[in-house]
Amino acid sequence: MIRTAPEETAGLKQGEGFLSLRGLTRRYGDFVAVDDFNLDVPKGELVAFLGPSGCGKTTSLRMIAGLAPSTSGHIVVNGRDITGVPPYQRDMGLVFQSYALFPHMDIAKNVAFGLEMRKVPKAEAAERVREAIAMVRLTGKEHHRPAQLSGGQQQRVALARALVVRPSILLLDEPLSNLDAKLRDEMRNEIRDIQKRLGITAVFVTHDQMEALTICDKVVVMNHGKLEQMGTPHEIYEHPKTAFVAGFVGRINRLAGKASGGVAEVAGLKVAAPGFNGPVEVMVRPHRVSLSTDGVQADGERHALPGTVTRATFAGDILEYEVEAGGTIMKTEAATRGGEAVLAPGTPVTLSWRPQDTYVYAAS
Amino acid sequence: MDERPISPVLKGVTLVMFLFLLAPLIVVVPISFSGDAYMAFPPTSWSVKWYGAIFHDAQMTAAFTISILLAIVVTVISLLVGLPAAYALVRLKPRGAEALGSLFTAPLLLPTIVLGLAILLVFAPLGLLGTFQGLVAAHLIVTLPYAVRVLSTALATLPIPVEEAAATLGARPLTVFFKVTLPMMRSGLVSTAALCFLVSFDEVVLSLFMTGPRLSTLPVAMYHHVEQQADPMVASLSVLLVVLTLVVVLIVDRTAGLAKTFVK
Ligand SMILES: Nc1ncnc2c1ncn2[C@@H]1O[C@H](COP(=O)(O)OP(=O)(O)O)[C@@H](O)[C@H]1O
Ligand SMILES: [Mg+2]
Repeated sequence: MIRTAPEETAGLKQGEGFLSLRGLTRRYGDFVAVDDFNLDVPKGELVAFLGPSGCGKTTSLRMIAGLAPSTSGHIVVNGRDITGVPPYQRDMGLVFQSYALFPHMDIAKNVAFGLEMRKVPKAEAAERVREAIAMVRLTGKEHHRPAQLSGGQQQRVALARALVVRPSILLLDEPLSNLDAKLRDEMRNEIRDIQKRLGITAVFVTHDQMEALTICDKVVVMNHGKLEQMGTPHEIYEHPKTAFVAGFVGRINRLAGKASGGVAEVAGLKVAAPGFNGPVEVMVRPHRVSLSTDGVQADGERHALPGTVTRATFAGDILEYEVEAGGTIMKTEAATRGGEAVLAPGTPVTLSWRPQDTYVYAAS
Repeated sequence: MDERPISPVLKGVTLVMFLFLLAPLIVVVPISFSGDAYMAFPPTSWSVKWYGAIFHDAQMTAAFTISILLAIVVTVISLLVGLPAAYALVRLKPRGAEALGSLFTAPLLLPTIVLGLAILLVFAPLGLLGTFQGLVAAHLIVTLPYAVRVLSTALATLPIPVEEAAATLGARPLTVFFKVTLPMMRSGLVSTAALCFLVSFDEVVLSLFMTGPRLSTLPVAMYHHVEQQADPMVASLSVLLVVLTLVVVLIVDRTAGLAKTFVK
């Protein structure tokens, strides 16, 4: 789901979200777990909170769900400030990493729980439970206990249980991290399909950039409790605003350099670095770097860097090289086409890439 | 628990321990079926008449009824008091929760005879000696610490996200407690009930201080009976008690899983 940016970004910047966070902050003593979080999620969008473990994703989600108090800031849903509202009045569906099904109830009762709390008439409730169980493809398992189901099935029950009450917002906390790789891909798409079909506003917490990029409308990259960047998957990947985002989302090569007068000197290259002064980090993604053996020269079109192959890895669909260049190890990768020779370590090569694929950040 | 190969030495030690624990039964069961007028091992003739004698002994049957009633009342109160106490200690974590927890378990560390004496001194002026209420209060001093301990452990091991899931689905705190927390604590509740019941039913020392001529518990009645007469009736009674205990333990095993309940 990569879309081009403009109208999406405009939507975000207007500041009119279905779910809005305003300066949301959570402190544990001196430690700031979530720091001044501002966000607007338009209705019907799936937004990822993406970041390394411990960056404050779960804390943020729990504050939205009302399960954890915020130190300061506001949570607004559909124009209503719900900051002090207890979780049982927030009308949010939460899917936990650990599934958190009721072990003493069968699947049908698990799914029916929220409807029972809302005093939905029996007949209607039974029909909605049936539909929800069918939606997650578990028809026939109604009278099984959670412990009798596989992890993937339990996670689908958790999803059905959260969605059957038609919550205003769906929150998912690393819902796929306990599943094996194949199931994870399936469930990922399934969650996206259901979310789109129902048109529900959803927040999807993950530390897996693939999950965030592939199924979400917007990605919020977090680090140390702070929002690093927010944008469409395309924006996040192609225009990372910080060195952290560039390094966390996708693979990256880093070169240390020095900037002055709008130009950075990196391993003998001159790279445009408008507005930078002092030590910088220059980055380029491995698959944007081409490798050649016939001595390409740097010109206006491409940056070029000579080097020596130190390792070649044939991975079937891609061929990866590690090349000693510019005082560090640069990685390249290219899709295999069949028949190309794998260069031996020690082979002199030239790396080259387009200036627009080059990112420059102030060195930390 | 992990499956590990068991060494022959451990097997031998276990066997000896079991024999030691079961030795009283090896003596008591035959005597209970004795046809003699006096306790003697081995009996010279066999009969079930001493089992019949229990039910014709008005004092014994009265004491038995008292003991059962007492154990039930004590168990119910232990659960009703122990559950909120455990909840407060584990979930609300007041300042000094740990110290409070230790304080609640302190009666278990005192020799029962000391407790009995203290209870006697406090209860006598209150006119509680020789009353059912007095017995209930005395037994609660011993069973409540067990109840708070076992229920605290049961609560502490529950997965909190399950309760949080209920809250996000619209359940108020009290509904969460009754619909989710309590059912998930089932095995802890069953084992607490069994433990309190057996501790109360088995209690001798405190009961000795508290009982009087008109009110006696079964163990105390048996004790007095043995003091005065040496007939094999108490052996028959003992066998019945062993069977009763076994029934309670079996109920626990069926509903909660024995190893899960008592070993942990
Ligand atoms: N109850 C707590 N007390 C102190 N620190 C906490 C508590 N809960 C979370 N934290 C800290 O807050 C930070 C963010 O945690 P969390 O939101 O769970 O991160 P994530 O979900 O992104 O892995 C972590 O560094 C964690 O150690
Ligand atoms: Mg987390």
